[in-house]
Amino acid sequence: MSTSRSDILRALSFRNISAVYIFIVIFAVFAIWIPDRFLQPGVWRSLLDAEALTGLAAIAALIPLVAGSLNLAVGAQVGFSAIVSAWFLSKAGLPIAIQLPAVILAGALIGLVTALVITRLRVEPIIATLGMSSILLAGMAWVSGSQQILDLGPDYGKLATTQWGGVTVPVYVLFAVALVTWYVLERTPAGRRMYAVGFNPEAARLAGVGVEGIRVWSLVAGGAIAALAGALLTSRINAGDPTVGPSFLLPALTAVFLGSTQFKGGRFNVWGTVVAMYVLAVGIKGLQLAGSPRWVNDLFYGLALLLAVALSQWESTARRGSAVGRVLSRIGIGRKG
Amino acid sequence: MADPTAPLLRVEGLIKAFPNLIALDGVSLDVNPGEIVAVLGHNGSGKSTLVKVLAGAYIADGGTVSLADGTGLHIIHQDLALVGELSAVENLALVKRTGPSGGAPIRRGAERERTRELVSRFGEVFDLDAPVRALTPAQRAIVAISRALDGWEHPANVIVLDESTESLHRSEVETLFAAVRRLAAEGAGVIFVSHRLDEVLSLAHRVVVLRDGRKVADEPVSGVDHTRLVELITGSSAAAVAGAPAGARRPGAVPALRVRGLQGGTVEHLDLDVLPGEIVGVAGVLGSGREAVPSLLYGATEAAASEFAVAGSDHPRRSPAASLRRGVAFVPGDRARLGAVRDMNARENMTLPQLRTLTGPLGAISARREREEVGALMTEYGVRPSLPDQRFSLFSGGNQQKVVMARALRDDPVVLLLDEPTQGVDIGAKAAIYEAIERAAAAGAGVLVSSSDAKELLRLCDRVIVMRDGRGAAELEGPDLTENRLVSEGYGLA
Repeated sequence: MSTSRSDILRALSFRNISAVYIFIVIFAVFAIWIPDRFLQPGVWRSLLDAEALTGLAAIAALIPLVAGSLNLAVGAQVGFSAIVSAWFLSKAGLPIAIQLPAVILAGALIGLVTALVITRLRVEPIIATLGMSSILLAGMAWVSGSQQILDLGPDYGKLATTQWGGVTVPVYVLFAVALVTWYVLERTPAGRRMYAVGFNPEAARLAGVGVEGIRVWSLVAGGAIAALAGALLTSRINAGDPTVGPSFLLPALTAVFLGSTQFKGGRFNVWGTVVAMYVLAVGIKGLQLAGSPRWVNDLFYGLALLLAVALSQWESTARRGSAVGRVLSRIGIGRKG
Repeated sequence: MADPTAPLLRVEGLIKAFPNLIALDGVSLDVNPGEIVAVLGHNGSGKSTLVKVLAGAYIADGGTVSLADGTGLHIIHQDLALVGELSAVENLALVKRTGPSGGAPIRRGAERERTRELVSRFGEVFDLDAPVRALTPAQRAIVAISRALDGWEHPANVIVLDESTESLHRSEVETLFAAVRRLAAEGAGVIFVSHRLDEVLSLAHRVVVLRDGRKVADEPVSGVDHTRLVELITGSSAAAVAGAPAGARRPGAVPALRVRGLQGGTVEHLDLDVLPGEIVGVAGVLGSGREAVPSLLYGATEAAASEFAVAGSDHPRRSPAASLRRGVAFVPGDRARLGAVRDMNARENMTLPQLRTLTGPLGAISARREREEVGALMTEYGVRPSLPDQRFSLFSGGNQQKVVMARALRDDPVVLLLDEPTQGVDIGAKAAIYEAIERAAAAGAGVLVSSSDAKELLRLCDRVIVMRDGRGAAELEGPDLTENRLVSEGYGLA
């Protein structure tokens, strides 16, 4: 295969990798503004670690979205799994070797139930997952009594805090999950069919794709990954905290949507998601180090989400397909086409 | 109002050109008070362009449309433009409010009363509070007509009904026609655009026939009969000979496809055998069931059949995936929406139905093998530009269709089902697609082509089944297979 000069230029264009350029700008701004606080290795290591769980949540949202289901329950799924993790350990007294697979299985089951609501009861994904989200929040409050669950035993906390080569386990988990997801989405027939279903379910069905099965499996896989994030979250804070999980929704969706504008010309994709997620996290971190109040987080993610969608709409007007635009037009709030 | 005998609508020398086509070439037409004018013509004759120019959707390149003083022009399109979820009363109120301003409260009683008054002019009043989608097609048409009438200051207006009979059952057509006659009796001028010849002859006072954008006839109904109309529409006399019947048909072979009692959608009953190497056409006017046959056979829409066999073995549970496994391939008519995934590239679209043959170890698609196979297909079917990674939507219509054809023929299907295979395709691509269809038949596939283009069926088919009212009405073959027979059987004039 030959790679021409124009291919390289296109690959490096702002439109294709805007997140990388945005990262450079953010980095430069904070490196000049607050170099003493921003340019510390410890800051970067903790950033890599802290955001790994956001990355997992983002991939959990990404997989169903590729196949056409916008999952608004992803934060609640992470939170519910975090509480269930803690409950299995402290109240049910399960050993970690059983607790961890059980949590992931429970997450997959939640995905399955969501999928059946969407495919069998024919509820729009956005409504189905909004409903599931509320049910899971109720479940969290019920299981935890709206209190932190402590006494997880001596070992569980080490799961997420053990370091190999200066990097914590969740970072390795994130990259392993991202790698497998990338392989399935980009290299296998299953991934090809998932994109086809997400783009045009009716045309995919006529091409012999089992649309319903693809939808179900993508939500099951997303549920299992969200559960993994929840289990690691509980390990990381060494307690089952009912308040943390739901806050993953906005950063995760923002990363997925911003990520769809990266690398693959308007397709939702894994590496775009991971890069976008870390770029957003660096921006937040810089603002925190510069002393801005906590509400700036929400402001930043909200603005970034709107910007990501606007960016992708701009792309679609430039004759490049836009994953975001399709999701929006399907639920009736976006432009046609 | 001025002179009561002057035309209400006068169309003079209307011209409308598109890049490759002159859709209207100097068409003139008068509509007098109380007159029902039927406009007839084949697909592509200029009928729909004429309606669109009258509606203001197209701007004419030449000619004039003038209305008598104080005369309104109302177009009722095929889809009636009603909101299905709203009731008849609400649909009428959408256009004309009873209240003084947009913010004023709705006066439900007054609205219902006015709707009842308008609808009652056309016969028995039906449920005006039910959502209009729950009404019969004829009742919906009456709602649309009533809405057009709403607010007429005087009865002498012009109303254009665009092919609105085609979704109607025969018994309902009379209900609608009675409404139209009523309108005309009160002094309105009616332009009735339709496919249904015999019914139109019983309704209209005057017939205008368009062919290739020109008016070829404008005569009182009393002056034309069925035979003459068919000749005017097709432009060929009844004696004209058939097209070239190609044929790789293998008589005596086990049918590639055998169906008895196919039923579903607009199709009520169809028996069908397609032999290997045979190209069978399905003809019929819109609404005859012709357009539903391929997707029913493929399992894309729900269908029942008493017997259904592919290459001699039973094929009971039909879905697109099951059909593909049996070697049944389908090219949908709605290319943009159903034919392919527009946002994926040509390569991904071509291989989507069968990816297993491309996977290597670890279940990955071999990029090299996929590229080779797609490259070969693009060359074989002459897809231009030959860029496998170009987004499907960026290809021209003809090349999109070549991609879809190449995909359908990639695994040498036993049965090839085609719905309008050359709709919206340029001449060059058309020839390439015909060639591909004939090669598939020569290789032993049983081919079924559903088409509204009589010339296409004559060019391709060994045999044509003409459908009418959801049933196979005639089967034409050999010397009987002429454009004239296709049209007259389709309209039920034989």
